[in-house]
Amino acid sequence: MTSVDRHFSVHLLAALLLTGLLVGCGPAHVVVEGNFPPPLIEPLPMTLGVWYGDDFAKHEFFDEAASGKESSLFVSTGAAQVQMWDTLLAGMFTRVVHLQARPTAGQSIPNVDAVLLPHIEELQYAIPAHTNVNVYEIWMRYRFELLDAQSNPVAQWTMTSYGKTPTALLQGAEAAVNLAAVMALRDAGANFSTNFTAVPALANWLRDNNALTAADTP
Amino acid sequence: MRRAAFRTLALCAGILLLPACVTSTVDQEVYNEPTEGIGEDSVVILGRRHASDYETEPDFVTCVGDYIASGDRSITVIDELEFLNAVYPWFEPRTAPLHPADIERLLKQKPVAAKMAALRVEYMIWLDGSTERTGGSGSMACSLGGCFGFGTWGHDANYEATIWDFTDQAEVGQVNTSATGQSYMPAVIVPIPIIAPVQGTACDGIGQQLLEFLSSKY
Repeated sequence: MTSVDRHFSVHLLAALLLTGLLVGCGPAHVVVEGNFPPPLIEPLPMTLGVWYGDDFAKHEFFDEAASGKESSLFVSTGAAQVQMWDTLLAGMFTRVVHLQARPTAGQSIPNVDAVLLPHIEELQYAIPAHTNVNVYEIWMRYRFELLDAQSNPVAQWTMTSYGKTPTALLQGAEAAVNLAAVMALRDAGANFSTNFTAVPALANWLRDNNALTAADTP
Repeated sequence: MRRAAFRTLALCAGILLLPACVTSTVDQEVYNEPTEGIGEDSVVILGRRHASDYETEPDFVTCVGDYIASGDRSITVIDELEFLNAVYPWFEPRTAPLHPADIERLLKQKPVAAKMAALRVEYMIWLDGSTERTGGSGSMACSLGGCFGFGTWGHDANYEATIWDFTDQAEVGQVNTSATGQSYMPAVIVPIPIIAPVQGTACDGIGQQLLEFLSSKY
């Protein structure tokens, strides 16, 4: 081996070590994965159009570490959001149609009774290092818009969800954050499906459109 | 030489197999014990998860279920996650019934009533509590030559099981268990953990009382 080769090898080794160190110090990266069951409820007799914007379907959350002692956190929930909401809505309504584009004001959407536009307004998290409590927690705040078949606004409302998971000896921080996010998604589905017909503006509209009888109103 | 090595190895194995001491107490209050067991019906054991600062561990719920199922193989214990998925979203932390009177409201949902009938749920047992670490002391230093030092820490387990008769929609018993134990880890080159099986002792205590309640064999 020549001295140039030796120099190159030393530089390459140093670069690899530095890269390894940088990767080791990088943010914790969590792509949320889970299984979401269909809801055990009687579906509302209506066809729902749904459109997921990029803020929803590709939702990501990044929290930069405030100090060198903490680790940054990157959480990607988009795919899991779509998976959970697709399963939930398919069980809540007799038919669900995915729209290819966001409806414009006054646009007539054929073969649907209403269109739902979900948005994620906020995501917060807490880990044991923040709270001194042995649980990982995730909060999410959603905003929903419901439009009629002519894309006129029917109702707009917000909803929160919360998930937590205890620390476990053989469970890493990433796995715990993932599980807390899955619990938060399950909670979102539970909150939405059990309170959907109780949103005041929605209950009246559903009754007027024969999707809800007076007896169904909570 | 070989004999000395064997003795050392046997001593180390003995220390590893020697659990630290645990003290536990169990209190039971039962009102309507089934006289002939639960027959063809099934029981579901669920963890309470609505407290903000702790969460009943899923593995503790599984441990109690396994204890009952292995103690009397005629008792069908439904797996917690399987049940939660089958009746989603009605037993999530946000929506789960807190009192036996809430069962009537739940069974007004026709799909829920049908699912419960299909699962033949006769008893629903709620486990509430957690195992907490209660502090530690000692110090240990590790280097390439091995570890030297001594560490000790405690665990405190407190659980309450509440038994609901699903058919009669009534609470029929309560079992409380608490267990405390101190774990040790001496290190002379190799750290040797001597773990107090606190959660396992609590599981056995509560599991035995529930088994005696549910089984006709005890």
